[in-house]
Amino acid sequence: MIPADFLLAVEHTPLAMAMRGELGGEWLFPIVETLHVISLAMVFGSIVMMDLRLVGVASRNSAVSKLSHEVLPYTWGAFLCAIVTGTLLFISKAHVYFFNLQFQLKFLCMFLAGVNMLVFHLGTYRHVREWDERHRPPSAARLAGALSITLWVGVIFFGRWIGFTT
Amino acid sequence: MRKFSVDMMPAMLHVTHRWANWLANTGLSGWLQNEAWVVPTSQSIHIASVSVVFCCAVMISLRLLGLSASGRSVSQLVDTLVPWMYRALAVLLLTGVVQTIAEPVRQFVTPVFWWKMLMILCVLALTVWFARAVRRNAAQWDTAARPVGAKWFALTSLCLWVGIIFCGRFIGYTWELYL
Repeated sequence: MIPADFLLAVEHTPLAMAMRGELGGEWLFPIVETLHVISLAMVFGSIVMMDLRLVGVASRNSAVSKLSHEVLPYTWGAFLCAIVTGTLLFISKAHVYFFNLQFQLKFLCMFLAGVNMLVFHLGTYRHVREWDERHRPPSAARLAGALSITLWVGVIFFGRWIGFTT
Repeated sequence: MRKFSVDMMPAMLHVTHRWANWLANTGLSGWLQNEAWVVPTSQSIHIASVSVVFCCAVMISLRLLGLSASGRSVSQLVDTLVPWMYRALAVLLLTGVVQTIAEPVRQFVTPVFWWKMLMILCVLALTVWFARAVRRNAAQWDTAARPVGAKWFALTSLCLWVGIIFCGRFIGYTWELYL
């Protein structure tokens, strides 16, 4: 558990003060928040594109590995931007967000989505050559895709709910 | 006829404020206002849908600008992604209508909402035109010698989508300034 003192110290840094508009720029928070939305849109959009292929619903004419090579750079690039903008939003009210239930559930969903991705990559995806072109991938891949969509929808829901509960 | 000018903004907003008050007093709006879960749920679905549209638009635009490593041709990308954009746009319209009925004043009083609507109309018209042009003449769009309009379409639609997301988020931060 991160001690509350540390969270409060983070809130007193000049960067956090700037994010709260205490140094003048009252539009900084909404602008960073919008950049966060744009980043998460690319993260979620690209992940769903991949997941729907794994479930066997979309992009069925593309090989899974090819689509993965095409889409994943967008996912990781945007995820990096989401981390930077998300951290800036977080430090503005670090202790409020840290103890907020929706915030915690959002991170739980992201953690589970990460575990799901890892299991898929170390498991079924290692034999992708055997089912690369199949319109309907094996059930383990379809399950991973469906789980991923569900968890990322959870991330968006809890993320939006943070704004209504803090 | 008077030329449109910035001076007319307050008058226009006065009219839209009246619409908002009328809508806010309808039974349907009253019901939606009382259900606290409706707006956040609708907004979450709205964000998930805009992600699909935005990601497809970015991938197509970067492909047209020659900035992506996509192995797919322009016409393949359009055939795969544009139908998903239209589906997500239908969900965006539905959830957008729900949010507007639930909080008409929040939406109608800020000019940012109307800029957003204007940009949506522009990007919709552009996208429909583009998708049709590609379908009609796939061979030409798939070569390096694409129509000159391709790069302009890509840049314009990228800017419009970023603008739309900005306006969408800024409705919530500006409406109280216009009450």
